[in-house]
Amino acid sequence: MTGIRQAIPVMLAYIPLGLAFGVLAAEAGLSVAEITLMSALVFTGAGQYIAIGIIAAGGSALTIILANLLVNLRYFLFSTSLVPPLKVLPTGAASALMLGLTDETYAVAAVHFRENPATIPYLAGLNVSSYLSWVGSSFLGASLGSIITNTEQLGLDFALPAMYTILLILVISERKHLLVAGASALVCLVVACLFPATLGNLSNIIIASLAAATLGVIIRQ
Amino acid sequence: MRAEILVIIVGMALVTAIPRCLPVALLSRFEFPEKFKEWLSYIAPAVLAALVTVSVLAPDGAIAITPGNRYIWAFIPTLAVAVYTRSPFYTLVTGIAVMALLYNFW
Repeated sequence: MTGIRQAIPVMLAYIPLGLAFGVLAAEAGLSVAEITLMSALVFTGAGQYIAIGIIAAGGSALTIILANLLVNLRYFLFSTSLVPPLKVLPTGAASALMLGLTDETYAVAAVHFRENPATIPYLAGLNVSSYLSWVGSSFLGASLGSIITNTEQLGLDFALPAMYTILLILVISERKHLLVAGASALVCLVVACLFPATLGNLSNIIIASLAAATLGVIIRQ
Repeated sequence: MRAEILVIIVGMALVTAIPRCLPVALLSRFEFPEKFKEWLSYIAPAVLAALVTVSVLAPDGAIAITPGNRYIWAFIPTLAVAVYTRSPFYTLVTGIAVMALLYNFW
């Protein structure tokens, strides 16, 4: 139950993102079945938005898959950082549940595992609920298309930033975390300003995280 | 369902599943050195700080540190509520409500 309860903000945040994805993908010429299948098999926000952009621009399948590989490099980092808390679980089940790893489910789980042991029901509750919200809202967006009222008007576009904010506050439990967070924000901004292309493929987030975590280890308590 | 779209979807599914599952599948049997575990413990705060930065300062995909960026204004009360309540629910409600007000009345 804890996993499902903690998934509620994630599910809420995925509604506008999923709806918008469905609408955009339909506009790019994909059928409802294709859109729903993509969300069901891939379950990733950034990668799917990029795919739609490339499809709309007439790009090749190879371009889409390579762009996704690049954007998904951050999952290596997230998954590796969950290895220590997930050790208590059977490896097969833990690996299978990692299919539901996203920026958001990662952050929620990482905060939870600070104080609580990992369990299969927790991880399944969190990841499956978030997954259903993403697939369901993609399907709705694809089916209803432009009938959907403007989600901006409802303020839902701020659901994701608000969730990142509270998770950041919850994950900071010592002075060192604050330092790492500040350094990461700064590096992220500087890299994005110097190399604007890194914003689109999220590589500035990876660069900032690697640099800030390294700084955390180097600097003495 | 067109074959070309199916190829795209299956390809994307593979390159998404591999980085998600492989580390947990392969690395769980090893005991990481303490320094590496410490490094990994800083990943979550670092990633979240970067995500907050990008989602608030570049909501449309380009850095926009301007008074016209509503996300920056909505961020201020949201951060305050997050710090004082430490509640995901109140933080999300505040952020969404403030954003709706800004969008409709400003």
